[in-house]
Amino acid sequence: MSAPLTPEQAWQPLPATAWDSAAARHLLRRAGWAARPDDVARAFADGLPATLNRLFPETPPSFPRPVFMVKAETRLTELRPKKRAANTPEERQIIDREERELERLASVEFSLKWLQAAADPERSAYEKWVLFLADVYVVAFEKVRRADYHYIHRDLLRTLGAGPATELTKAISRSPAMIDYLDLSRNSRRAPNENFARELLELFVLGEGHYAEGDIKQAARAFAGYRIGKNGYRLDARSADTGPKTVFGQTGPWTGDEVIDLAYAQPAAATFLPREMARFYLTDSPPPSEFFAPLGAAWRASGFALRKLCHAFFGSTVFYHPDYQANYIKSPVHYLLGLVQDLRLDLTPLPRSTLQPLRQMGQNLLEPPNVRGWVGGRLWINSSTLAARRQFAKTLCNPLDEGTLNADERLELTAARDAGRFRFSVDEDRIHDLASLGPRGVADRLCDFFLPVAVTPAYRATVVDYLDSGPKEEFEDRVRRATIALLQSPEYQLC
Amino acid sequence: MLLPSTRREFLRHSTRGIGLLAFSRFAPRFLVQSTLAAPAPEKDRRILVLVQLAGGNDGLNTVVPFDDPAYHALRPTLALKQNAILPVSDHLGLHPACAPLHALLKEGRLGIVQNVGYPNPNRSHFRSTEIWETGSAADESLSSGWIGRYLDNACTGSPGSTDPDAIHVSAEVPQSFGGEHPHHTFSLSPGAARAGSAETALLERIAERDEPVLGGNHSFLRATLMDALVAEKKIQRILDTAKPASPYPSGNFAQSLRNVSALIAAGLPTRVYFVSLGGFDTHANQANAHSNLLRQLSEGLAAFQADLVARHLDDQVLTMTFSEFGRRPVENESRGTDHGTAAPLFVMGRDIAGPLHGAPPDLRVEKNADIRFGTDFRSVYATVLDRWLETPADAILGAHHERLGFLG
Repeated sequence: MSAPLTPEQAWQPLPATAWDSAAARHLLRRAGWAARPDDVARAFADGLPATLNRLFPETPPSFPRPVFMVKAETRLTELRPKKRAANTPEERQIIDREERELERLASVEFSLKWLQAAADPERSAYEKWVLFLADVYVVAFEKVRRADYHYIHRDLLRTLGAGPATELTKAISRSPAMIDYLDLSRNSRRAPNENFARELLELFVLGEGHYAEGDIKQAARAFAGYRIGKNGYRLDARSADTGPKTVFGQTGPWTGDEVIDLAYAQPAAATFLPREMARFYLTDSPPPSEFFAPLGAAWRASGFALRKLCHAFFGSTVFYHPDYQANYIKSPVHYLLGLVQDLRLDLTPLPRSTLQPLRQMGQNLLEPPNVRGWVGGRLWINSSTLAARRQFAKTLCNPLDEGTLNADERLELTAARDAGRFRFSVDEDRIHDLASLGPRGVADRLCDFFLPVAVTPAYRATVVDYLDSGPKEEFEDRVRRATIALLQSPEYQLC
Repeated sequence: MLLPSTRREFLRHSTRGIGLLAFSRFAPRFLVQSTLAAPAPEKDRRILVLVQLAGGNDGLNTVVPFDDPAYHALRPTLALKQNAILPVSDHLGLHPACAPLHALLKEGRLGIVQNVGYPNPNRSHFRSTEIWETGSAADESLSSGWIGRYLDNACTGSPGSTDPDAIHVSAEVPQSFGGEHPHHTFSLSPGAARAGSAETALLERIAERDEPVLGGNHSFLRATLMDALVAEKKIQRILDTAKPASPYPSGNFAQSLRNVSALIAAGLPTRVYFVSLGGFDTHANQANAHSNLLRQLSEGLAAFQADLVARHLDDQVLTMTFSEFGRRPVENESRGTDHGTAAPLFVMGRDIAGPLHGAPPDLRVEKNADIRFGTDFRSVYATVLDRWLETPADAILGAHHERLGFLG
């Protein structure tokens, strides 16, 4: 057990002398999904600051609107006036059905395309950061049934996720998905709705206990009149409340943006998000807020610059502390994308092969269970979700069974192959190449490439013994099974 | 966990505490009596076997209105000839490949629930399957399955038990099984290859190791994995030593049912089994393909029922088929049929009350139109939940649905 760090020590940058392959591996596995040997070598050679620059760039990579979503939007734009003009409930119902199906298909495609982007090692860290932000600024498809709103929301998180948190929060308050999800569309001067104001203070900026009920009530008034118009956000002047409000002891005719500034001026704002980062990236039980004070102070001084926060967080001494290594349970997305990267595969572009297993592992990408997002940790793991993980690992290590695919799925695969993506599972050739290393070589390769810790000789011997046990003709079968076993192991569920 | 609301549930709970009660002088008489009277677990359970016909079964060529001129007009090449049909009533009969089911029908072990569907039918495989599996209305999206909600309500299994509550013969957990609370579900490979133990050999050895030592989360993962491996070993052992009491045809579907029978006979507390037969999406050249599927289905189901009878388990098991939709009455240009709406389903057990339930579909539809459903599938579920599994059907389904009479 290493000596615990004081807050001041914790947030010092990791000394360059402490930057080794193990540290690089830990960073890549936590900030992204996997630590492939060549990526580790590059990160080690580049040094920590340069690696952080690459993982969290100044200009976030873009994510264009998926093709189907564009087509769906065109059709939906035609349908909406038709529905309004419908004369009978039956007519409306027919249009409803088509709308729902289009939205569902568009949301499925959106999730798939996001997974593909996130599977790209050059983008993984930033997309995981976007996922973290999505887990803070939660919206769910269950309530917000517009795929395009989710696209816009996610895109705000992406494009503003490297800049000042104040700007991001203000933009999110105007995100159509958010206006719908937290009932801003129902918030008016005469009948204030507090849902958004509460979550703003509790879940986005300050955390529980750092505001009074009165602050919420008054803050809610500042967001009255926020509506979704034809082109996104619009302010409905009649419902807006321009009167004086007292929030955090300050009285004035505050607008929504000004209330957000007032919230960020509160002391708790400096440590809230950093502590949430620790929960998402470091440990199920982060230290209390006070521990994050030095990090928070620097973040506040930078104008709440999120990119700087990432660099400081992932570049800190505490991030690499032994207490926080190899003991964090991967979320389903992490497990799935980690596998795809560790096995150097292309993501199979079929909902059945990706979104369905993900759902069975307990994570439906556009459906966090509630406003708090995913709780994670041990809650990810039970007999069914563990079985789903094991099944997924097994599927990726066996040839794709194309016999069970339907016509649409076959088309998708063909399109992917045409675009140069065809490595959907570990094929015979790769098993053969691995097997040519011999039992010791295979055991070392599997243990060193996949597991988050260096394992003992006895552990390796277990793997070698297994590979040696049986007829030579079946060695490659055993190599395949050993690969699957390591990917199903308790160790591989951790990062 | 809900308080036990049926005598059966109460008994299940109290058998765990039987030691204490037996020694207590102060236990109320009725409690002592009822725990002493508690039957062994194997006798005190009712099991549901769900058989999914994946792809959309052509109901109209399964339960055939052979003397309806509309049927023949709609299907110039696919309509089955009257002399080939196995008669069920004056106007309805079964596809010739369903001979084993026909026999069961005559014995009162099989029932046909006709024209089962739902309002505002959806013709997407994915979406309609989801509707059936979640027991939802067409315009709502539920995240839990109807069996999952049944398991939430039924407090099955004892704490600390590694035995599964529900078993599915498929790689993916059926959406039906997802509940609000986690349940032990178990996946049996279709055809249950005996390679099972070879596949997990190394994993077991790794899980048994006491190192690396990586903290609480690692121990938790290891413990969860060990529980799963224990359940798998137990089930594999049952399957390896199982001998059916009655013969089965070859093929994955029949073998899957054979394995289900073995697990039931072994006394597992599992209440629900799920088996799937795929290939029903017969858009082209339907005749032979559909015939083969119906034969597999019929022979498999009949063999399963015979096995249960031979083992004296048939009073405990109810089997039910379902499919995401039926197919369009009019055949298409490729001697096949396109996605439709409602279709009949089969229920099979020892005491099925009558061969036909519900009313047949009205075929007086426009050329490319679909049948309008007669019986809501949720009524079938409600009947099973209420009259077979004895759980609060309305709570599980979120609304009241009329009970049907196939269980008397």
